[in-house]
Amino acid sequence: MNWKNVKLVFLREVRDQLRDRRTLFMVAVLPLLLYPALGVGMTYMTVNFSEQERTVMILGAKDLPPPPLLDPQKPDRFLPEYFSAASDANKLRVITESNLGQPIEPGISPDVHEAEQDFLKQAVEYRGTLEQLGVLSRSRAAAEEKSVRLSYAGPEKKAELDACVASVAELKHQESELKAKVDLWFSNAPVQVMIVVPTGFATKLEEANRQLANRTGNEVQVDDMPRPMILQNSADEKSQLASRRIREALTKWEDHLRAARLEQAGLPSSLSSPVDLTSVDVAAKDDLSANLWSKLFPALLVMMGVTGAFYPAVDLGAGEKERGTMETLLISPARRSEIVMGKFMTVMVFSLSTALLNMLSMGMTGQHVLSMAGSGGMGAVSFPSAVSLMWVIFLAFPLSALFSATSLALAMFASSSKEGQYYLTPLLMVTMGLTMFCLSPAIEIQPYYSILPVAGPALLLKALLGSGASLSELSVYFLPVIGSSIFYSIVALNWAISLFDREEVLFSQAERFDLGLWIKHILRDKDPVPSRTEAAICFAMIVLTQFAALSSMKPDLGGDSQARNFTMLMWQTVYLIVTVGLPPVLMAILLTSSVRRTLKLFWPRWQYLLLGFVLPVVLQPIAVELIHQLDWFFPKLPAEMAEFMKSLSDPNVDWWWPLLAIAVAPAVCEELAFRGFLLSGFQSGRQRSFWTPILLSAVCFGVVHMIAHQVFNAMLLGIVLGLLAVRSRSLVPGVIFHFIFNGMQVLQTRIPKTVFESREMQWLFSVESEAGQTAIRFNAPLLAISGLLSLGLITWLVRAPIDADPEGPQRRFSDLPPMNSDTLTLPENDPRWDQMRANAARGHNSI
Amino acid sequence: MIHVENLSKSFFDLRRGDVLALDHVSFDVAPGEIFGLLGPNGAGKTTCLRMLSTVLKPTGGRAEIAGFDVATQPEQVRSHIGFMSNNTGIYDRMTAWEFVQYYGRLYGMPEDVLTPRLEQIFQRLQMNDFRDVLGSKMSTGMKQKVSIARTIVHDPPVMIFDEPTSGLDVLVARAVVQTVDSLKSQGKCIIFSTHIMREVEKLCDRVAIIHRGKILAMGTLPELADRYNQPDVEELFFDLIQAHDESYRQTTS
Repeated sequence: MNWKNVKLVFLREVRDQLRDRRTLFMVAVLPLLLYPALGVGMTYMTVNFSEQERTVMILGAKDLPPPPLLDPQKPDRFLPEYFSAASDANKLRVITESNLGQPIEPGISPDVHEAEQDFLKQAVEYRGTLEQLGVLSRSRAAAEEKSVRLSYAGPEKKAELDACVASVAELKHQESELKAKVDLWFSNAPVQVMIVVPTGFATKLEEANRQLANRTGNEVQVDDMPRPMILQNSADEKSQLASRRIREALTKWEDHLRAARLEQAGLPSSLSSPVDLTSVDVAAKDDLSANLWSKLFPALLVMMGVTGAFYPAVDLGAGEKERGTMETLLISPARRSEIVMGKFMTVMVFSLSTALLNMLSMGMTGQHVLSMAGSGGMGAVSFPSAVSLMWVIFLAFPLSALFSATSLALAMFASSSKEGQYYLTPLLMVTMGLTMFCLSPAIEIQPYYSILPVAGPALLLKALLGSGASLSELSVYFLPVIGSSIFYSIVALNWAISLFDREEVLFSQAERFDLGLWIKHILRDKDPVPSRTEAAICFAMIVLTQFAALSSMKPDLGGDSQARNFTMLMWQTVYLIVTVGLPPVLMAILLTSSVRRTLKLFWPRWQYLLLGFVLPVVLQPIAVELIHQLDWFFPKLPAEMAEFMKSLSDPNVDWWWPLLAIAVAPAVCEELAFRGFLLSGFQSGRQRSFWTPILLSAVCFGVVHMIAHQVFNAMLLGIVLGLLAVRSRSLVPGVIFHFIFNGMQVLQTRIPKTVFESREMQWLFSVESEAGQTAIRFNAPLLAISGLLSLGLITWLVRAPIDADPEGPQRRFSDLPPMNSDTLTLPENDPRWDQMRANAARGHNSI
Repeated sequence: MIHVENLSKSFFDLRRGDVLALDHVSFDVAPGEIFGLLGPNGAGKTTCLRMLSTVLKPTGGRAEIAGFDVATQPEQVRSHIGFMSNNTGIYDRMTAWEFVQYYGRLYGMPEDVLTPRLEQIFQRLQMNDFRDVLGSKMSTGMKQKVSIARTIVHDPPVMIFDEPTSGLDVLVARAVVQTVDSLKSQGKCIIFSTHIMREVEKLCDRVAIIHRGKILAMGTLPELADRYNQPDVEELFFDLIQAHDESYRQTTS
């Protein structure tokens, strides 16, 4: 790669983007304006819309017992000391009977005043009814409580319970009748909340207190006295808000009353709270803000990183193709990789600056708004420290690199800017999904997650900004996070570069898409083996059918565990056949002209057959040990999943069932899919490479295993299996390998542990018990033998001579002898070919 | 200088399956010569020239430019050619000067060579009055001049012009033709594709008539007139194409 050209392309693209008003606006102006504008908007809203005053009516304010509930200086306000935020008192206006006949207060419109006066008058008349409603509600609630208590009491209280239930029904009926009346009246009221204090409440309360103090409570039922009632309309938000505020004040006020009562009775003030929990928040001020920023920053970094990368990428990729400047650029001596690299760096610069500018602007604005909000509880949130900001910038790099490379590849793939824009939504959805995953408090960084794209950097940033873990604990993740991000970026960039080599992508014209024509083409122009696209579709089919079948993963199983495990095994077999075995076979029949070639149904040479038997036995110890050693790397299996896995190896089920479900079915189905259809598909095409198809099919093979341990394991085995299939040009050795490999794991659980513990076996095996599960581990001598043999056999396989194709070289339509016509769909042995060639030759000479 | 041997190219098309856009085309062009590719729209001229400029990969045959193979040594080929098409491919947000300078630098020209060269080209093509005009503000004629400047900035031995005058008014087209002619006198090896007979008559030393991906006839204009007994180029062109279409229709019916 000539870095001078990369630099030239980079500088040109940056200048180009900086001259583009739209890009500049998106990257720089929008974040700088958007957040302050949002902040101003929010401030405006809080200032103008939340200060609305609500009106409360207290009926029977004279009957309120001391201490005063209302402010003696301002009789239309509650006492501010009852509110946690004193200013809340000003948000409630109180009217009482004493307002009746009073002149208009300042700030109240004549209409409202009149309505209030009317309402007051009615309320005073209505007081009896309202008090009655209060009493009814209270006795109904008491009766309900009693009936619940009685329902636990047992059969001897049956009669009492029935009577109680009947009285509840009767009370409910009466109450709802009364409520309907009151509701009709109250719904038009000019007040949001109404408090009804029963007549003589203060004196009755005083009497009750005295009786309690004298311990003569048996004469007067303290519980039976009428209580104040608060009337609100829960369907009305204004009413709800006001009532919540009033309850806050009333609760405080009640505390005073209770204290007075207890004091009068000579009882300790802590009487009513026997436990009295003390809660201590050890979080320092910094930790609180760290918690907020650790959630906000990764999410914002991801979102803005994508947006910032995408728009310039579309302009640089699809836009350049669309404007016709790409062709000119391709004629320059700059290599395609240099052009892509220059463009990638440009996109990354914009992605980074968008993300960082957005964060800076949002952080500043947020800080400003929060500091204005002051005592609102959020005021404690301070701007993150310089160290945290450094981490944000540091991790913005891998994230931006990944997004830039992906966006650029997508933009190259698109034939027009418009098409390019369409790819943004799916990209955003995927990244959003990953971000949501990261934001979940239950998800913490862990070795396996650290190598996931997007999630790795985001989780690391979350951990770094949070207060939980120390830097030294997290430092082990730096390398995997950065390394994996670089790896993914390189893969995406390579994809972008390879798109440059594909002429149909580079010079794609807006072609009318005709589904019928396309299907016809697929069914008509069959090649012996599937194309890469068809292989990819097959893989998608497998994943989708698996996903669809997943919901039935836990069939409703009755009976004992043995029967359940048996059904589970059967189900697993059917599941494999339907989701993994069927799609490749059907697609091979439908889409290819040679099912035999596609699925590699040939008899292999004896060497490969032998290898199919020997290799799994040799590989087993080293493969199992590897997974054990890497256990720390993977997230822990969810409990249900572990249970499911265990059920598959239930020793009480006859041994052939697990062998069928775990060894036979996977060996046949998975080989047909991954070494058959997929591998053949990946192997086809003009550029034939040896390793790429094997690695691709291995990755697909890994992905369908879903559980992280198995994904890893399957990928490694997939490489060996792919190698075997490519070398032998046959599915048979792979099926044997797969069967033996899985079969050994099944049978291992059947062999009594004592066999492994016997003296003769001790130097080879050791039995480990952990959490009720025993595992057979392989000892060093066996591992050494296994390692050496595997290495030798695989090396032989890699170097083995390529067998002659059993059906001769592939014939593709593009390989047909060129003709001067566009009717190349004729079969090759058609006699008309000769005639056409002759005619063409004659035509050439005769003129 | 240019050696083309059995060059073929097939495309895949949903409606028609594999389409042969260029069918075993062979020709040679020497330095100081203008070789005309004459053919109707869709004859395969652009496909052929794109393969020569290494943008497309041949599916059959080979081509060499200045001794470098287009398939295996694309970078060397690209640095030895200047390619210009009717699609000017000028960046909207770059001035004329910046654009030509950018390509000069991509061709690896050192600054002390490039700057005087730019001055010289801008002088000769009379581009100094729109030196600092952005691409989006340029007229078609200006764009075409910038495009020519871009093509010749690195003084390549081989030049490929793909319908450079299509869509231009008479004045600009004339200027383009004159420039190409002057390049020939500098000893450049030039391929000039067009469907305009006048330009062929004026410019080309030798011409190949191309239709449906095939070269129907090739030679100097007098040779062709002699061989087919038709002194008028336009008539000759028409006859050849008609005869070919005739035989094609016979084979397919």
